[in-house]
Amino acid sequence: MSTSEAATVLPVYDVAPGQGEPSKAPGAAAAPSAPPAAPAAATKTTARSFPMRLFHRSDRGSRCMAFLDFLLRIAAFGPLLAAAIATGTSDETLSVFTEFYQFRARFDDFPAFLFLLVASAVAAGYLVLSLPFSAFVVLRPQTTILRFLLLVSDTIVLALLTSAAAAATAIVALAHNGNERANWVPICMQFHGFCQRTSGAVVASFLSVVIFVLLVVLAAFAIRKR
Amino acid sequence: MSSANEATVIHVDNTTGKAPVTAQPPPAAAPTAPVQQQQRKSGGVPFLLRGGADGFRRCMAFVDLLLRIVAFGPTLAAAIATATSNETLSVFTEHFEFRARFDDFPTFTFFVAANAIAAGYLVLSLPFSVVGIIRPKATVVRLLLLIGDTVMVVLVTAAASAAAAIVYVAHEGNMRANWVPICMNFHGFCERTSGSVVASFLAVLVFILLVLLSACAIRRRPC
Repeated sequence: MSTSEAATVLPVYDVAPGQGEPSKAPGAAAAPSAPPAAPAAATKTTARSFPMRLFHRSDRGSRCMAFLDFLLRIAAFGPLLAAAIATGTSDETLSVFTEFYQFRARFDDFPAFLFLLVASAVAAGYLVLSLPFSAFVVLRPQTTILRFLLLVSDTIVLALLTSAAAAATAIVALAHNGNERANWVPICMQFHGFCQRTSGAVVASFLSVVIFVLLVVLAAFAIRKR
Repeated sequence: MSSANEATVIHVDNTTGKAPVTAQPPPAAAPTAPVQQQQRKSGGVPFLLRGGADGFRRCMAFVDLLLRIVAFGPTLAAAIATATSNETLSVFTEHFEFRARFDDFPTFTFFVAANAIAAGYLVLSLPFSVVGIIRPKATVVRLLLLIGDTVMVVLVTAAASAAAAIVYVAHEGNMRANWVPICMNFHGFCERTSGSVVASFLAVLVFILLVLLSACAIRRRPC
C-alpha cells in the first residue's frame, strides 16, 4: 500500500430507515490514516435520532394509497350492512291462506339466503375490525407486513363474500324465472316484496365485492411501491 | 472492526492500482447495506436454492408455476364434465321426453364458461410465471399476475357457488317454494355436476394461494 497518498475512508452506516441509532463506524481505529480534511469526500448518512418517521416527503405516495384503502373500507361497509339487514328482514306473508297452509316466505327457507346474511354480517364486522389497522398504515406507511396481512385477510373475506353473493344470485334468478325442465315454479309472482328485498341485497353485496377487489389490488400496488 | 454491529468501512485508495480489500462483506441478513457484493457468484448451488431475497423470490415463483399447473386440471375437468352431462331418461310420454342437459340451467352455462376461461387463463399465465422465475426482480410481472389471479378468484368462486346452490336445490329441493328435487330421477346428471362443483372449489383454493404467493413475492423484504 502506497504511503504517499492517504486512502479515502468512507464510513458507511448500516441503518435501516425508521430504526434507531445507527452503529458508529470504528472511528479511526482501522483507517490507516486520518480521514481527509475535506468532509465532502466522505459520504455519511445522517443519523436518525427520531425513531418514527412521520410525514416524510417520500412517503406521500404510499400514504395516499393507504388513505384510499381506508376510504374504500368505509365505502364497502355500507352496502354490506344494508344487504345483511335487508336479507334478515325479508319476511313476507301472503294474504291468501288455506285451511292447512299459510303462504309465507322467509330467508330461513332458503339456505343460500341464510349464507348471504351470515357472510355479509361477517364481512361487515371484518371491515370494522380492520379499520384501525388501516388507519395505522396511514400514519406509518413503512409497514409492509401490516399491508400484507390486510391483503391476506381481504382475499379470504373476498372469496367468502363472492361465494355467498353468487349462491344467492342463483336462487334469486331461479325465483324470478323458474326452470321449465326441472318444473320449478318462479315464486316471485306471488312473493313480490321478498323477491325485491333479496334482489337488492344481492346487488349491494356484489358492489362490496368489487370494492374488495379494489382493496386487494391497491394493497398489492402499495406493497410493491415500498 | 470485529464486532458485528459496526459499520462497514471501505478503504478507497486514491492512487492507481488496486486498493487492498480489507472490508468484510456485509452480513446477508442486512438488505439495507448500501454496498452490495455484485461479484459473488453462487457457483455450485442449484438455481432455485440460492440464498438471499432473490433466491426466495425464485422459489416462490417456482411454487407459483407448480400451483398453476395443478389448478389447470380441476378447472378443465369441471368444464368438460358439466358440458358433457347429457342425460336422457328411459321414461317418456307422448309429448315430453325427460332429458336434462347443462343448457337447461343458465347457472351451469355460466359455470362451464367461467371454468373454461379460468383454464385458458392458467395456460396463458404460465409464460409470465416462468419470467418471474428467471428474473426475480421483476415485480411488475408479479403484480400483473396478482391482478389476474384476483379477478379469476372472483369469477371461479362465483361460478362454483352459483352451481353449488343449484346442485343443492336439485338434491334437496325446497319445501316452501315447492321445488322438487330432480336428482331422484337424473342420477348421472346430478353426480357429474356435483363432482364438477367440487373440482371447481379446489381450483378456487389454489387461486387464493396463488394470490397470496404473488403478494409475498412482491415484497422487497422476504416475508
